[in-house]
Amino acid sequence: MMVGPAVAVLFLVTIAPLLFSLGVSFTNLQFSSPQPMRWVGIDNYVTLVMHDVRFQTALVRTLLLVAAGVLAQTVIGYIIASLLSRVRRNRALLLSPILIPAVISPVVAGWQGRMIFNASYGPLNDLLARFGIQGPAWLASPQTSLLSVFLTDTWQWTPFLALVILAAIESQPQELIEAARLDGAHGWSMFRRITLPLILPVTSIGILLRGVDLFKTFDLVYILTQGGPGNSSETLTFLTYLEGFKFFNPSYASAMSFIQLVVVTIAAKGFLGFMQRQESV
Amino acid sequence: MSKRFMFELLKWLALFVVLVIFLFPLFWIIASSLKTRGEFFTRPPIWIPSHAEWSNYPDSLGRGALKGLVDSFTIAFSSMLVSLLLGSPAAYAIARFQVGKRNLAFWILSIRMFPPIATILPLFVIFRFVGLVDSYFGLILSYTVFNLPFAIWILKGFIEDLPREIEEAAKVDGASRFQIFRNIVIPLIAPGLVVVALFTFIFAWNDFAYAVIFSGSKVTPLPVVIAQFAGGHEILWGQISAAAIIAIVPALVLATFLQKYLTRGLTMGAIK
Repeated sequence: MMVGPAVAVLFLVTIAPLLFSLGVSFTNLQFSSPQPMRWVGIDNYVTLVMHDVRFQTALVRTLLLVAAGVLAQTVIGYIIASLLSRVRRNRALLLSPILIPAVISPVVAGWQGRMIFNASYGPLNDLLARFGIQGPAWLASPQTSLLSVFLTDTWQWTPFLALVILAAIESQPQELIEAARLDGAHGWSMFRRITLPLILPVTSIGILLRGVDLFKTFDLVYILTQGGPGNSSETLTFLTYLEGFKFFNPSYASAMSFIQLVVVTIAAKGFLGFMQRQESV
Repeated sequence: MSKRFMFELLKWLALFVVLVIFLFPLFWIIASSLKTRGEFFTRPPIWIPSHAEWSNYPDSLGRGALKGLVDSFTIAFSSMLVSLLLGSPAAYAIARFQVGKRNLAFWILSIRMFPPIATILPLFVIFRFVGLVDSYFGLILSYTVFNLPFAIWILKGFIEDLPREIEEAAKVDGASRFQIFRNIVIPLIAPGLVVVALFTFIFAWNDFAYAVIFSGSKVTPLPVVIAQFAGGHEILWGQISAAAIIAIVPALVLATFLQKYLTRGLTMGAIK
């Protein structure tokens, strides 16, 4: 009785639409087309996986963004966390300003990026010029547009991972660290054999949340580059949005979103399984 | 100089660099929100405007940011209320009576992994059919997709932390299941309710994906207003920056006052 209303609402806004969408993905429904809706079986999926180069490139590009983002944010997050863990007094005074990016809207983060990466009038290229470096066109160049999206996301979410890793570092049992130190562990061997296994369980939750969110990157792309120039920064969710709401092709877009759902589920399960094996070693 | 002193110096230097990097973009929008139009097109750029051009703020409010602010607040606040009202009894039932066992809990968590576009697309078709596109109710309902599972998940964690004995004692005293929930569990999980209120509000406040698709001429949340400003023919740098600052402030104020609840919410309850 108590779960009733919640489950009913969740069913209404998640399961029902997904089933509807799954059905649509097997048809040729188009908003703009005069031809009647027809059942086409797995045609949409076959086209996407076998022939649609734009989709395949977007998939690879998104996975690249996920890998680079997770790696950079975890490494930098770890460095910040270990610096913060050495601050004993008034740590909150440092932690709260560093966490600001995690509570602001991606639209605002994107807008900051638009100004900071502005090739002619932005502060980044101005700074680079002072060191004698000719900065790239950032958002306006196909070579750097995805890099700019990656940098903005890393700016916004590294503090989150630093917070998670800091909590993990703080919860390490001190006796274990001391014992290892007495046994002669230090530097890399200390990190690899003692610290890493201890912080891994909590850190992996942070990495998982981040990986899933990076896979869904939409807002930043929308504000920063609109997927351009060309398709150089087009992520999967942005392409799906274009397909569904700009090209008015909901059946094809539904098939795309289902492939994403499958990819993200498999990746998340695989990652969790991998992490559990690591922990038991 | 001792090695220890050098190490301390390096540590504080590194922390200073970190702070500068993560705060600089915020400094840049604040500075931009106070620049005149001409000050955006100089080379090298002006880092600190010579005088504060406050008119960008009223100007951006007049161009739609005020309506955006009101709409965003209405939607975020309502979505927060819905998540608390529906989420807390559901969390109680799942935590205490094992309703749905582990499957329900896992399903709830997995909704967090959905690409929003996967539910937005069919919801849009359905909403268009029943006339919920460009309505407050439509947006409030869509945020429930994300907020309700989050609320249930977080509150379930808080309820599981409560000792069962208190509830059992109340039961012996003849309290009904609803009385126990209403008079004992709810007050005890108040911190959990704060975490949920904070994050459901901030999520709806900050969201763009649902907002841009389900809004129209009648309902225009603030992030959509900012995106429209930024996508127009003539980009109003100062006004957009002012609107961005206006959008940051509520989330920032909430997060500062409720800082001790931040970690638990950001990590989906994984860190207590």
